[in-house]
Amino acid sequence: MSIILISSDHYETGRAVAQQVAEATDYALLDREILGEVASASQIPEPKIRKSLEPSSSTVGFSSKVRNRALASIQAAVMARLLDDKVVCHGLAAHLYVLGVSHVLKIRILTNVDERASRIASERRVGIEKARKILKKQEAAGKRWSLDVFGQDETNPSQYDIVISLSQIDPDEAANAIVETVSYRKFQSMTYSIKCLRDKELSIRVRLALMEKYNDVDVTADGATVVVRTKALRREKRKKAESIRTLASQIPGVSYVEVHAVRDIFREAAESA
Amino acid sequence: MAEGLEVLLLDDEPIVGKRLKPALAKIGCNVEVFEDPKKALERIDQKEFDIVVTDIRMDEVDGLQVLEHVRQSSERTKVIMITGYAMMAVAREAMEKGAFDFIAKPFKPDDLRKVIAKAAKELGSNIQFEISETDGS
Repeated sequence: MSIILISSDHYETGRAVAQQVAEATDYALLDREILGEVASASQIPEPKIRKSLEPSSSTVGFSSKVRNRALASIQAAVMARLLDDKVVCHGLAAHLYVLGVSHVLKIRILTNVDERASRIASERRVGIEKARKILKKQEAAGKRWSLDVFGQDETNPSQYDIVISLSQIDPDEAANAIVETVSYRKFQSMTYSIKCLRDKELSIRVRLALMEKYNDVDVTADGATVVVRTKALRREKRKKAESIRTLASQIPGVSYVEVHAVRDIFREAAESA
Repeated sequence: MAEGLEVLLLDDEPIVGKRLKPALAKIGCNVEVFEDPKKALERIDQKEFDIVVTDIRMDEVDGLQVLEHVRQSSERTKVIMITGYAMMAVAREAMEKGAFDFIAKPFKPDDLRKVIAKAAKELGSNIQFEISETDGS
Protein backbone atom coordinates (compact mmCIF):
# COMPACT_ATOMS: atom_id res chain seq x y z
CA MET A 1 0.00 0.00 0.00
CA SER A 2 1.01 3.62 -0.34
CA ILE A 3 0.75 7.11 1.05
CA ILE A 4 0.00 10.18 -1.05
CA LEU A 5 1.20 13.59 0.10
CA ILE A 6 -0.35 16.51 -1.70
CA SER A 7 0.83 20.05 -1.26
CA SER A 8 -0.24 23.11 -3.16
CA ASP A 9 0.37 26.83 -3.44
CA HIS A 10 -3.33 27.26 -2.61
CA TYR A 11 -4.85 25.36 0.31
CA GLU A 12 -8.44 25.00 -0.97
CA THR A 13 -7.32 23.79 -4.41
CA GLY A 14 -4.92 21.23 -2.94
CA ARG A 15 -7.65 20.07 -0.58
CA ALA A 16 -10.16 19.59 -3.40
CA VAL A 17 -7.71 17.43 -5.37
CA ALA A 18 -6.77 15.48 -2.22
CA GLN A 19 -10.45 14.78 -1.54
CA GLN A 20 -10.97 13.50 -5.06
CA VAL A 21 -7.91 11.26 -4.83
CA ALA A 22 -8.98 9.90 -1.45
CA GLU A 23 -12.42 9.03 -2.80
CA ALA A 24 -11.03 7.36 -5.92
CA THR A 25 -8.47 5.29 -4.04
CA ASP A 26 -10.59 4.65 -0.95
CA TYR A 27 -7.74 6.01 1.17
CA ALA A 28 -8.33 8.04 4.33
CA LEU A 29 -8.02 11.80 3.95
CA LEU A 30 -5.75 13.41 6.52
CA ASP A 31 -6.02 17.19 6.63
CA ARG A 32 -6.34 20.04 9.11
CA GLU A 33 -9.30 18.42 10.88
CA ILE A 34 -6.73 16.73 13.12
CA LEU A 35 -5.48 20.06 14.45
CA GLY A 36 -8.13 20.10 17.18
CA GLU A 37 -6.80 16.81 18.50
CA VAL A 38 -3.25 18.11 18.19
CA ALA A 39 -4.21 21.17 20.22
CA SER A 40 -5.75 19.04 22.99
CA ALA A 41 -2.80 16.68 23.13
CA SER A 42 -0.19 19.44 23.13
CA GLN A 43 -2.17 21.91 25.27
CA ILE A 44 -1.36 24.62 22.77
CA PRO A 45 -4.42 26.63 21.69
CA GLU A 46 -5.75 25.53 18.30
CA PRO A 47 -5.37 28.99 16.69
CA LYS A 48 -1.65 28.84 17.49
CA ILE A 49 -1.40 25.34 16.09
CA ARG A 50 -3.04 26.58 12.87
CA LYS A 51 -0.87 29.68 12.80
CA SER A 52 2.28 27.56 12.95
CA LEU A 53 1.37 26.24 9.48
CA GLU A 54 0.85 29.68 7.99
CA PRO A 55 4.01 31.02 6.35
CA SER A 56 2.79 34.56 5.99
CA SER A 57 1.28 35.01 9.42
CA SER A 58 2.71 37.42 11.92
CA THR A 59 4.89 35.95 14.64
CA VAL A 60 3.87 38.57 17.16
CA GLY A 61 2.88 36.90 20.41
CA PHE A 62 4.09 33.58 19.10
CA SER A 63 7.48 32.52 20.41
CA SER A 64 9.66 30.28 18.30
CA LYS A 65 9.62 27.80 21.16
CA VAL A 66 5.82 27.50 20.99
CA ARG A 67 5.84 27.43 17.20
CA ASN A 68 8.43 24.65 17.17
CA ARG A 69 6.47 22.64 19.70
CA ALA A 70 3.25 23.20 17.73
CA LEU A 71 4.89 21.97 14.54
CA ALA A 72 6.46 19.00 16.31
CA SER A 73 3.04 18.11 17.73
CA ILE A 74 1.53 18.23 14.23
CA GLN A 75 4.35 16.09 12.88
CA ALA A 76 3.91 13.51 15.63
CA ALA A 77 0.18 13.26 14.96
CA VAL A 78 0.67 13.03 11.20
CA MET A 79 3.41 10.41 11.42
CA ALA A 80 1.26 8.27 13.69
CA ARG A 81 -1.58 8.37 11.14
CA LEU A 82 0.74 7.67 8.21
CA LEU A 83 1.77 4.40 9.83
CA ASP A 84 -1.78 3.22 9.15
CA ASP A 85 -1.00 3.34 5.41
CA LYS A 86 -3.54 4.10 2.66
CA VAL A 87 -3.64 7.79 3.49
CA VAL A 88 -3.93 10.93 1.39
CA CYS A 89 -2.35 13.71 3.42
CA HIS A 90 -2.77 17.38 2.65
CA GLY A 91 -2.37 20.73 4.37
CA LEU A 92 -0.11 19.57 7.18
CA ALA A 93 3.29 20.36 5.65
CA ALA A 94 4.11 16.64 5.55
CA HIS A 95 5.93 17.13 2.23
CA LEU A 96 8.59 18.94 4.23
CA TYR A 97 9.26 16.31 6.89
CA VAL A 98 8.33 12.97 5.36
CA LEU A 99 11.46 12.55 3.30
CA GLY A 100 13.12 9.53 1.74
CA VAL A 101 10.23 7.09 2.19
CA SER A 102 9.82 5.15 -1.05
CA HIS A 103 6.11 4.34 -0.70
CA VAL A 104 5.22 8.00 -0.22
CA LEU A 105 4.12 9.62 -3.47
CA LYS A 106 4.69 13.37 -3.25
CA ILE A 107 2.64 15.69 -5.38
CA ARG A 108 2.82 19.45 -5.82
CA ILE A 109 -0.23 21.16 -7.26
CA LEU A 110 0.37 24.55 -8.80
CA THR A 111 -2.73 26.62 -9.32
CA ASN A 112 -3.38 28.94 -12.20
CA VAL A 113 -1.59 32.17 -11.31
CA ASP A 114 -3.90 34.38 -13.36
CA GLU A 115 -7.01 32.97 -11.69
CA ARG A 116 -5.51 33.39 -8.26
CA ALA A 117 -4.43 36.93 -9.01
CA SER A 118 -7.95 37.77 -10.21
CA ARG A 119 -9.43 36.24 -7.05
CA ILE A 120 -7.08 38.26 -4.84
CA ALA A 121 -7.83 41.41 -6.84
CA SER A 122 -11.56 41.03 -6.30
CA GLU A 123 -11.31 39.90 -2.65
CA ARG A 124 -8.99 42.70 -1.62
CA ARG A 125 -10.28 45.22 -4.12
CA VAL A 126 -6.87 45.90 -5.63
CA GLY A 127 -5.62 46.07 -9.19
CA ILE A 128 -4.37 42.97 -10.97
CA GLU A 129 -0.73 44.10 -10.82
CA LYS A 130 -0.97 44.62 -7.09
CA ALA A 131 -2.58 41.19 -6.77
CA ARG A 132 0.32 39.62 -8.66
CA LYS A 133 2.77 41.29 -6.29
CA ILE A 134 0.84 39.89 -3.33
CA LEU A 135 1.06 36.41 -4.87
CA LYS A 136 4.80 36.73 -5.36
CA LYS A 137 5.17 37.83 -1.76
CA GLN A 138 3.15 34.83 -0.60
CA GLU A 139 5.31 32.46 -2.60
CA ALA A 140 8.49 34.02 -1.22
CA ALA A 141 7.08 33.75 2.31
CA GLY A 142 6.28 30.06 1.75
CA LYS A 143 9.76 29.38 0.51
CA ARG A 144 11.34 31.26 3.43
CA TRP A 145 9.12 29.49 5.96
CA SER A 146 9.82 26.01 4.59
CA LEU A 147 13.55 26.69 4.62
CA ASP A 148 13.53 28.28 8.09
CA VAL A 149 11.43 25.63 9.78
CA PHE A 150 12.27 22.40 7.96
CA GLY A 151 15.38 23.23 5.94
CA GLN A 152 13.50 22.33 2.74
CA ASP A 153 12.51 24.61 -0.14
CA GLU A 154 8.91 23.76 -0.91
CA THR A 155 9.09 25.57 -4.23
CA ASN A 156 11.87 23.26 -5.47
CA PRO A 157 10.29 20.80 -7.93
CA SER A 158 12.91 18.12 -7.20
CA GLN A 159 11.24 17.66 -3.78
CA TYR A 160 8.29 16.00 -5.51
CA ASP A 161 7.54 12.94 -7.60
CA ILE A 162 5.08 14.91 -9.71
CA VAL A 163 4.41 18.63 -10.11
CA ILE A 164 1.05 19.36 -11.74
CA SER A 165 0.16 22.77 -13.10
CA LEU A 166 -3.57 23.38 -13.09
CA SER A 167 -3.15 26.06 -15.71
CA GLN A 168 -2.84 23.22 -18.23
CA ILE A 169 -4.67 20.32 -16.59
CA ASP A 170 -8.00 20.48 -14.80
CA PRO A 171 -8.33 19.14 -11.24
CA ASP A 172 -10.19 15.99 -12.34
CA GLU A 173 -7.40 15.06 -14.71
CA ALA A 174 -4.83 15.82 -12.02
CA ALA A 175 -6.63 13.51 -9.58
CA ASN A 176 -6.78 10.75 -12.21
CA ALA A 177 -3.07 11.09 -12.93
CA ILE A 178 -2.27 10.80 -9.23
CA VAL A 179 -4.49 7.73 -8.82
CA GLU A 180 -2.82 6.04 -11.77
CA THR A 181 0.70 6.88 -10.60
CA VAL A 182 0.20 5.57 -7.09
CA SER A 183 -0.61 2.16 -8.52
CA TYR A 184 2.95 1.78 -9.81
CA ARG A 185 4.86 -0.91 -7.92
CA LYS A 186 7.63 1.53 -7.01
CA PHE A 187 5.21 3.31 -4.67
CA GLN A 188 4.17 0.15 -2.84
CA SER A 189 5.33 -0.26 0.73
CA MET A 190 8.11 -2.70 1.58
CA THR A 191 9.95 -3.73 4.71
CA TYR A 192 12.57 -1.03 4.20
CA SER A 193 10.15 1.84 3.55
CA ILE A 194 7.92 0.86 6.46
CA LYS A 195 10.99 0.87 8.70
CA CYS A 196 11.95 4.32 7.42
CA LEU A 197 8.51 5.61 8.34
CA ARG A 198 8.55 3.97 11.77
CA ASP A 199 11.97 5.42 12.48
CA LYS A 200 10.71 8.87 11.58
CA GLU A 201 7.62 8.44 13.73
CA LEU A 202 9.69 7.37 16.73
CA SER A 203 12.21 10.17 16.30
CA ILE A 204 9.54 12.89 16.23
CA ARG A 205 7.78 11.34 19.22
CA VAL A 206 11.05 11.40 21.18
CA ARG A 207 11.82 14.92 20.03
CA LEU A 208 8.41 16.12 21.10
CA ALA A 209 8.80 14.55 24.54
CA LEU A 210 12.22 16.12 24.98
CA MET A 211 11.01 19.53 23.82
CA GLU A 212 9.07 19.91 27.07
CA LYS A 213 12.46 20.46 28.64
CA TYR A 214 14.95 20.93 25.81
CA ASN A 215 14.10 22.88 22.68
CA ASP A 216 17.43 22.36 20.92
CA VAL A 217 17.46 18.65 20.24
CA ASP A 218 17.82 16.77 16.99
CA VAL A 219 16.66 13.17 17.12
CA THR A 220 17.15 10.24 14.77
CA ALA A 221 15.94 6.69 15.30
CA ASP A 222 17.00 3.36 13.89
CA GLY A 223 14.73 0.62 15.10
CA ALA A 224 14.59 0.99 18.87
CA THR A 225 17.87 2.90 19.02
CA VAL A 226 17.62 6.64 19.33
CA VAL A 227 20.39 9.18 18.82
CA VAL A 228 19.89 12.64 20.31
CA ARG A 229 22.12 15.54 19.34
CA THR A 230 22.17 18.68 21.39
CA LYS A 231 24.36 21.54 22.56
CA ALA A 232 25.43 22.20 26.11
CA LEU A 233 27.85 24.22 28.18
CA ARG A 234 30.88 22.21 29.19
CA ARG A 235 29.87 22.16 32.83
CA GLU A 236 26.32 20.93 32.11
CA LYS A 237 27.13 18.43 29.37
CA ARG A 238 27.08 15.30 31.48
CA LYS A 239 23.99 16.29 33.45
CA LYS A 240 22.05 17.27 30.34
CA ALA A 241 23.02 14.09 28.50
CA GLU A 242 21.93 11.98 31.46
CA SER A 243 18.64 13.83 31.76
CA ILE A 244 17.93 13.36 28.03
CA ARG A 245 18.83 9.68 28.25
CA THR A 246 16.45 9.20 31.17
CA LEU A 247 13.57 11.03 29.48
CA ALA A 248 14.00 9.38 26.10
CA SER A 249 14.38 5.87 27.44
CA GLN A 250 10.91 6.12 29.02
CA ILE A 251 9.23 6.53 25.64
CA PRO A 252 7.52 3.41 24.30
CA GLY A 253 9.50 1.83 21.49
CA VAL A 254 12.89 3.06 22.72
CA SER A 255 15.38 0.54 24.04
CA TYR A 256 18.69 2.37 23.69
CA VAL A 257 19.52 6.07 23.77
CA GLU A 258 22.77 7.67 22.67
CA VAL A 259 23.27 11.36 23.42
CA HIS A 260 25.80 13.48 21.56
CA ALA A 261 26.18 16.77 23.38
CA VAL A 262 28.53 19.20 21.70
CA ARG A 263 29.82 22.35 23.33
CA ASP A 264 27.60 25.36 22.93
CA ILE A 265 30.38 27.79 22.05
CA PHE A 266 28.05 30.74 21.56
CA ARG A 267 26.54 30.43 25.02
CA GLU A 268 30.00 29.87 26.51
CA ALA A 269 31.27 32.98 24.75
CA ALA A 270 28.26 34.96 25.93
CA GLU A 271 28.75 33.80 29.52
CA SER A 272 32.45 34.59 29.55
CA ALA A 273 31.97 38.07 28.10
CA MET B 1 6.79 -26.03 8.72
CA ALA B 2 6.87 -25.69 4.97
CA GLU B 3 7.78 -28.79 3.03
CA GLY B 4 10.86 -28.02 0.99
CA LEU B 5 10.53 -24.32 0.25
CA GLU B 6 13.49 -23.83 -2.08
CA VAL B 7 15.55 -20.73 -1.34
CA LEU B 8 18.65 -19.39 -3.04
CA LEU B 9 20.61 -16.97 -0.88
CA LEU B 10 23.22 -14.77 -2.58
CA ASP B 11 25.55 -12.44 -0.72
CA ASP B 12 29.23 -11.83 -1.37
CA GLU B 13 29.87 -11.57 2.36
CA PRO B 14 30.27 -15.17 3.60
CA ILE B 15 29.04 -14.29 7.09
CA VAL B 16 25.56 -13.45 5.75
CA GLY B 17 24.97 -16.89 4.27
CA LYS B 18 26.54 -18.56 7.27
CA ARG B 19 24.15 -16.81 9.66
CA LEU B 20 20.99 -16.84 7.59
CA LYS B 21 21.08 -20.40 6.28
CA PRO B 22 20.37 -22.01 9.68
CA ALA B 23 17.84 -19.27 10.50
CA LEU B 24 15.84 -20.07 7.37
CA ALA B 25 16.29 -23.82 7.76
CA LYS B 26 14.48 -23.49 11.09
CA ILE B 27 11.30 -22.45 9.28
CA GLY B 28 11.54 -25.25 6.77
CA CYS B 29 13.52 -23.73 3.92
CA ASN B 30 16.06 -25.66 1.89
CA VAL B 31 18.71 -23.04 1.40
CA GLU B 32 21.47 -22.96 -1.20
CA VAL B 33 24.02 -20.28 -0.41
CA PHE B 34 26.13 -18.48 -3.02
CA GLU B 35 28.81 -15.83 -2.70
CA ASP B 36 29.56 -15.56 -6.40
CA PRO B 37 26.67 -13.98 -8.36
CA LYS B 38 27.73 -15.65 -11.62
CA LYS B 39 27.50 -19.08 -10.05
CA ALA B 40 24.15 -18.11 -8.56
CA LEU B 41 22.85 -17.12 -12.00
CA GLU B 42 24.00 -20.46 -13.40
CA ARG B 43 22.12 -22.25 -10.65
CA ILE B 44 19.00 -20.13 -11.27
CA ASP B 45 19.11 -21.26 -14.90
CA GLN B 46 19.19 -24.88 -13.77
CA LYS B 47 16.52 -24.78 -11.10
CA GLU B 48 13.36 -22.81 -10.39
CA PHE B 49 13.62 -21.57 -6.80
CA ASP B 50 10.61 -20.49 -4.78
CA ILE B 51 12.51 -17.59 -3.29
CA VAL B 52 15.74 -15.81 -4.18
CA VAL B 53 17.31 -13.59 -1.54
CA THR B 54 20.02 -11.39 -3.01
CA ASP B 55 22.35 -8.67 -1.88
CA ILE B 56 22.32 -5.62 -4.15
CA ARG B 57 25.84 -4.29 -4.18
CA MET B 58 28.21 -6.96 -5.48
CA ASP B 59 31.13 -6.97 -7.91
CA GLU B 60 30.55 -7.85 -11.56
CA VAL B 61 26.84 -8.66 -11.25
CA ASP B 62 24.65 -6.61 -8.92
CA GLY B 63 21.43 -7.62 -7.24
CA LEU B 64 19.23 -5.71 -9.66
CA GLN B 65 20.72 -7.72 -12.53
CA VAL B 66 20.04 -10.89 -10.57
CA LEU B 67 16.46 -9.71 -10.11
CA GLU B 68 16.06 -9.09 -13.85
CA HIS B 69 17.55 -12.50 -14.60
CA VAL B 70 15.12 -14.22 -12.24
CA ARG B 71 12.18 -12.29 -13.67
CA GLN B 72 13.09 -13.51 -17.16
CA SER B 73 13.42 -17.12 -16.10
CA SER B 74 10.53 -17.46 -13.66
CA GLU B 75 7.42 -15.39 -12.97
CA ARG B 76 6.68 -17.39 -9.86
CA THR B 77 9.94 -16.89 -7.97
CA LYS B 78 9.81 -14.24 -5.27
CA VAL B 79 12.92 -12.08 -5.10
CA ILE B 80 13.88 -10.41 -1.85
CA MET B 81 16.54 -7.72 -2.00
CA ILE B 82 18.88 -7.06 0.93
CA THR B 83 21.37 -4.21 1.10
CA GLY B 84 23.58 -2.22 3.38
CA TYR B 85 23.24 0.76 1.04
CA ALA B 86 19.49 1.23 1.10
CA MET B 87 18.24 4.36 -0.60
CA MET B 88 14.83 5.42 -1.79
CA ALA B 89 15.75 5.42 -5.49
CA VAL B 90 17.21 1.90 -5.39
CA ALA B 91 14.27 0.60 -3.37
CA ARG B 92 11.82 2.03 -5.93
CA GLU B 93 13.83 0.64 -8.82
CA ALA B 94 13.89 -2.81 -7.26
CA MET B 95 10.14 -2.78 -6.66
CA GLU B 96 9.45 -1.54 -10.18
CA LYS B 97 11.58 -4.36 -11.58
CA GLY B 98 9.50 -6.87 -9.67
CA ALA B 99 11.17 -7.43 -6.30
CA PHE B 100 8.88 -8.96 -3.72
CA ASP B 101 10.43 -7.00 -0.87
CA PHE B 102 13.42 -4.91 0.06
CA ILE B 103 15.23 -5.05 3.40
CA ALA B 104 17.97 -2.78 4.68
CA LYS B 105 20.94 -4.29 6.48
CA PRO B 106 21.54 -4.76 9.29
CA PHE B 107 18.44 -6.79 10.03
CA LYS B 108 17.56 -9.55 12.43
CA PRO B 109 17.00 -13.09 11.13
CA ASP B 110 13.39 -12.71 12.26
CA ASP B 111 12.94 -9.75 9.87
CA LEU B 112 13.88 -11.94 6.94
CA ARG B 113 11.86 -14.87 8.25
CA LYS B 114 8.77 -12.66 8.35
CA VAL B 115 9.28 -11.66 4.72
CA ILE B 116 9.94 -15.27 3.73
CA ALA B 117 6.71 -16.27 5.48
CA LYS B 118 4.80 -13.60 3.52
CA ALA B 119 6.34 -14.80 0.28
CA ALA B 120 5.55 -18.40 1.15
CA LYS B 121 1.93 -17.43 1.77
CA GLU B 122 1.69 -15.87 -1.67
CA LEU B 123 3.22 -19.00 -3.14
CA GLY B 124 0.54 -21.06 -1.45
CA SER B 125 2.99 -22.59 0.97
CA ASN B 126 2.55 -22.46 4.69
CA ILE B 127 5.28 -21.42 7.05
CA GLN B 128 4.67 -21.43 10.75
CA PHE B 129 5.97 -18.02 11.53
CA GLU B 130 3.84 -15.42 13.16
CA ILE B 131 3.33 -12.22 11.14
CA SER B 132 1.72 -9.47 13.13
CA GLU B 133 -0.76 -7.12 11.45
CA THR B 134 1.66 -4.22 11.57
CA ASP B 135 4.32 -6.21 9.73
CA GLY B 136 2.19 -6.70 6.71
CA SER B 137 2.45 -4.40 3.78
